[in-house]
Amino acid sequence: MGRTIPLPMLILAVLGFCYMLLPILVVVLAGLTAGEFLTFPPEGLSLRWVVAFLQSEKYLSAFFFSFRLALLTMIVATILGTAAALFLSRTRFIGRGAMRAFFLSPVVLPGVVIGFSLFAFYISTGIGLTRTIWGLWIGHILYSTPYVIGTVGAALASYDVSLDEAARSLGASPMRTFRKITLPNISQGIQAGSIFAFIVSFGQFEVSLFLSAPNAEPLPIAMYNSLRYKFDPSAAAAGIFAIILVTASVLLTNRLVNIGRLLEKK
Amino acid sequence: MAADSHITAGRPSPGYQRHLKWLLVVPLAIFFVVFFVIPVGLLFATSFNPQVIGQVAVTSELTLDNYIRFFSRSNYLMATGRSVLLATIVSLTTLVIAYPMAFVIAKTKNAARNTVLLILVLAAMQLDMVIRIYGMMVILGDNGLINQMLVAIGLTDPDNPVQLMYNFLGVVLGLVQFSLPFMILTLVGVIRGINPSLEEAARSLGATPRRTFLRVTVPASMPGILSGSLLVFALSISSYIVPALMGGFRVGVLPIHIFQQVAEGARFQFGATIAVILFLISAGAVAVYLKVGSRNSGGLA
Repeated sequence: MGRTIPLPMLILAVLGFCYMLLPILVVVLAGLTAGEFLTFPPEGLSLRWVVAFLQSEKYLSAFFFSFRLALLTMIVATILGTAAALFLSRTRFIGRGAMRAFFLSPVVLPGVVIGFSLFAFYISTGIGLTRTIWGLWIGHILYSTPYVIGTVGAALASYDVSLDEAARSLGASPMRTFRKITLPNISQGIQAGSIFAFIVSFGQFEVSLFLSAPNAEPLPIAMYNSLRYKFDPSAAAAGIFAIILVTASVLLTNRLVNIGRLLEKK
Repeated sequence: MAADSHITAGRPSPGYQRHLKWLLVVPLAIFFVVFFVIPVGLLFATSFNPQVIGQVAVTSELTLDNYIRFFSRSNYLMATGRSVLLATIVSLTTLVIAYPMAFVIAKTKNAARNTVLLILVLAAMQLDMVIRIYGMMVILGDNGLINQMLVAIGLTDPDNPVQLMYNFLGVVLGLVQFSLPFMILTLVGVIRGINPSLEEAARSLGATPRRTFLRVTVPASMPGILSGSLLVFALSISSYIVPALMGGFRVGVLPIHIFQQVAEGARFQFGATIAVILFLISAGAVAVYLKVGSRNSGGLA
């Protein structure tokens, strides 16, 4: 009997989920409304804002800019992050915990400050990265790699090292052992990590604030600039596509790795 | 088995291989030094240069003027206090809302249902904050859904809507929305790790469910409560987008001041000073978080 969840707890949890999810549902409704903006009660559904988004130069180009940036970020973050996770899981040395914390730290440090320091760094060194996609790319890699390290690290933590030892003792070279034994076993963790890297870059705002150029904006910056002045339902329609993308990614991640296990102790 | 590992250990040149392993971390280490350590280091250096409008590069002139200015103007001290107060309120509110959610997720035994709940939390966390704010603005704005409903049932006058955003309250509501998934994910791992026999023992000794919860479950999840709150503190004190949109630039917190100094005034040195102070507050919270969390936090957060 002690197993069941007390009713008050359940009610509070349901209210909490409403608070967390209602704004997302509202964006979907706002993008599908037939009126000029979302009203209560709703005026009915239509695809006019979705069509407006698909025809708008501003949001569509921002959407694809973000998509391209996220793909580029994903590639580098996956390679750098997987290599670092392998190193961290296979090596024992003093300061290993500190090194891990250092690589994960960008996620929790102020994005505006990191964006500002990169912006000032690009200008003062004159390396031609100021307000370019490549300058943004560097900032996004900094923020996405920690997610790869975390996810691949979790996959490696549940990987049985004696498999490697068996391959080695049977005469396989270290490289061959890695390609034939280790890599296939952690590949789902790597794929999940790369999806995380993609989605983190796709939704990144704070770092992009100082680094994006007015004529080449990622989607969050374009939406922010329009939201400051007016409610544009075609921004909500752009949001619908982002919601679909994120939901699909999380569902895909769930097929690749056990989401519940990511939360367990290392 | 012992013999096998003996053979592996006895292979030639293990030292050589140990050095090769370091090659795995070198690319990322170089990347972090060049694009993280050096830029942030230069930012710290810039904050000790005299304020020259439009000047970006670091010079050799050292001064404490920017810090003296920061700590002698009530404007900036109040912004610091407001930021700390805001992040503290958000941490506590998020904790209260997130705990029942995390508790329900942790105690849901049905694997499929459990996965669905976690997917919802992860999807909310990964979704771009600007999109979530759009939704909140539609709900809480002066002509938003809540005010429309209040007008419809005759509780408020259409010309005099209830101010739910463009103020401190709006920023708190937005930041709690932003922080919930991080707090939930931190708490679920800890609550799940509580040995169920502790709760059963309390129950069998005659404690009511309420008493068991307050005296056993909550204290046992204290490490998660602490690290989750510190994480949310660090995340919410750093947010620019939420105070900007939900506060309508009327709630002047540190990230807003940084952007104004740099993007609107081209005052790089003073902007850097505010940035250093924000960085140190946030890094301080993260350092305590790591100390608490090294024993018990989950892999994602």
